[in-house]
Amino acid sequence: MRLTVSFYFLIGILFYISITPFIFSFSQTTLILDLLIFAALAYSINFITGMTGYVSFGHVFFMAVGSYTLVYMSKVFNLYPLFTIPLVGLIGALFAFVIGYITLRFRGVYFALSTLVIALASYYIVLVIPALGANEGLIFNVRFEPLIWFYTIFSIVALEAIITYFINHSRTGYAIRAIKDDEDAAIALGINSMRIKLILFIISGTFGALAGGVFAWSTAHVYPTEIFDLQFSLQMLAMILIGGMGTVFGPFIGAAIVYLLTYYLITILPNGQLIIIGLAVILVALFVPMGIVGSLRNKIKQIKQVVE
Amino acid sequence: MVDTLLLFSDIVYGLLLGCIFSVMALGLNLIWGVIKIVNIAHGEFIMLGAYSAYFLNLFFNINPIISALLNTIFGLGLGLIFYFALIHKELRNKETITLQDEMVTLVATFGLSLFLSTLALLLFSGNSVGINWSIGSIYVGFLYIPLGALYVAITSLFIIYFVHIFLTKTYLGNAIRAYSQDIIATQLIGANPTKIAAIATSIGIALTMLSGSLLTVWIPVGINPYMGSLYAPISFVIVVMGGKGKMWGSLVGGLIMGVIIDTAQIFIPPTLAYAIAFLILIPILLISKEGILK
Repeated sequence: MRLTVSFYFLIGILFYISITPFIFSFSQTTLILDLLIFAALAYSINFITGMTGYVSFGHVFFMAVGSYTLVYMSKVFNLYPLFTIPLVGLIGALFAFVIGYITLRFRGVYFALSTLVIALASYYIVLVIPALGANEGLIFNVRFEPLIWFYTIFSIVALEAIITYFINHSRTGYAIRAIKDDEDAAIALGINSMRIKLILFIISGTFGALAGGVFAWSTAHVYPTEIFDLQFSLQMLAMILIGGMGTVFGPFIGAAIVYLLTYYLITILPNGQLIIIGLAVILVALFVPMGIVGSLRNKIKQIKQVVE
Repeated sequence: MVDTLLLFSDIVYGLLLGCIFSVMALGLNLIWGVIKIVNIAHGEFIMLGAYSAYFLNLFFNINPIISALLNTIFGLGLGLIFYFALIHKELRNKETITLQDEMVTLVATFGLSLFLSTLALLLFSGNSVGINWSIGSIYVGFLYIPLGALYVAITSLFIIYFVHIFLTKTYLGNAIRAYSQDIIATQLIGANPTKIAAIATSIGIALTMLSGSLLTVWIPVGINPYMGSLYAPISFVIVVMGGKGKMWGSLVGGLIMGVIIDTAQIFIPPTLAYAIAFLILIPILLISKEGILK
């Protein structure tokens, strides 16, 4: 496979992000850490919703799975949180396989509704499981080590972005775009759509869980009302919508916009940031459904080389 | 051994509650069945209806049944705004709705749902409130039935009957049903599709807000900005169970759902009962997307 200009562009950006802790002040680095958690979530939902067009409202579920796994393992077995990360990914993949195997049979609105009810139902189920702290959640002791958090989440985001690039530029990438445009036609062409969707959903669930795990690690707790909050699902959708669905750079740009918007609005209007984000989602969905990267790509030919 | 009397009374309460669920699902079903769009913000319109009943009761001492009628008027207005702001752009000049349009409206209404619940959180705070409407209860055989719940259930059945008459006996109702089957044919008989879609949507929203008002009888301290996330999934399950576009399916589905939620709470914690009620959606979809109540 011949690497395009955009690959080197991507590597350049990732390299720049990797050295930010040495350039910026400490408080700015923690800001970038939060931004990277958002970006990891955005890339994770991008694998399924962005690429295939299957809207997953319940993606917050995988985030919660990751958070609970990390906190539970580190607390009960007294493991260093970083060592639980592989397990977090594995559990995320397992849940994604089971849920995807059932729900990916449904198309359009039925898939969206089933993911939504799974996320809501799992919240009510967690509330009655004493081992998971029922309605109080779990708190655990962590050492304050922002650099390790930073590089863990950075590796996750870098991996996601590179995987996204290679999927988009492979033969499977064409198959995925065919599924998004017309699934029946894709199946008629001999594309095994169920297998492709399931693999994407598993990748998506794994990374969602990993991002959730790092989120819980850096905040040292997991509370059910917080972690199952559908606002995370909305923010994830907002990020890929604003940035550009299924693109390599879209999720990152979207994450930066949504995160900075949230960060500044939260001081002006506490709790009110969702009003603005909700409005932004409505407007973008209706008027700019391609997102920033998608629209720019169609308008300006030169940009196409850099972002494709 | 579970007390038979307890089980029986819970079935009765479940049926009474189910009547309201039916109206709630009918609002969703009308929009889903006619213009083929799922309103993810359905629960937030229920929440708005409940808050409007609460404030009408607080300031003017109006009981939930009267405020349900007032809510219908608010709902018709809000429904028109909802249609022209969010839905119209995707439906205009289209004969069938593609997956792409469906995705856009899903995401847009999801944005609306978070927008409305956050707005409610800012305006009304996160505390739960409720209406104290105690007008006594009657003693039938061996169980007490609160009169409020009984009147509300009767009102619900009347509303469902009324909607049925409207859809089958009036010109507008027939036009709405025609639109749900074939948009081009509707244009051929000289009906304006935009007008019909807008009217159907606003009636759907009106029914939703009305059900929110009726629901306040059952939740003495349960009106809060998050209540939508409880009642919206219930409505989705009912509509899928009964089959979209099928009114009687919604009625029967609502009653079944009411009984399931109420009786399951005898055996398991209430939150788990709701979780099970939500998850019923998946086996139903695996069996048939057209509903399992024929």
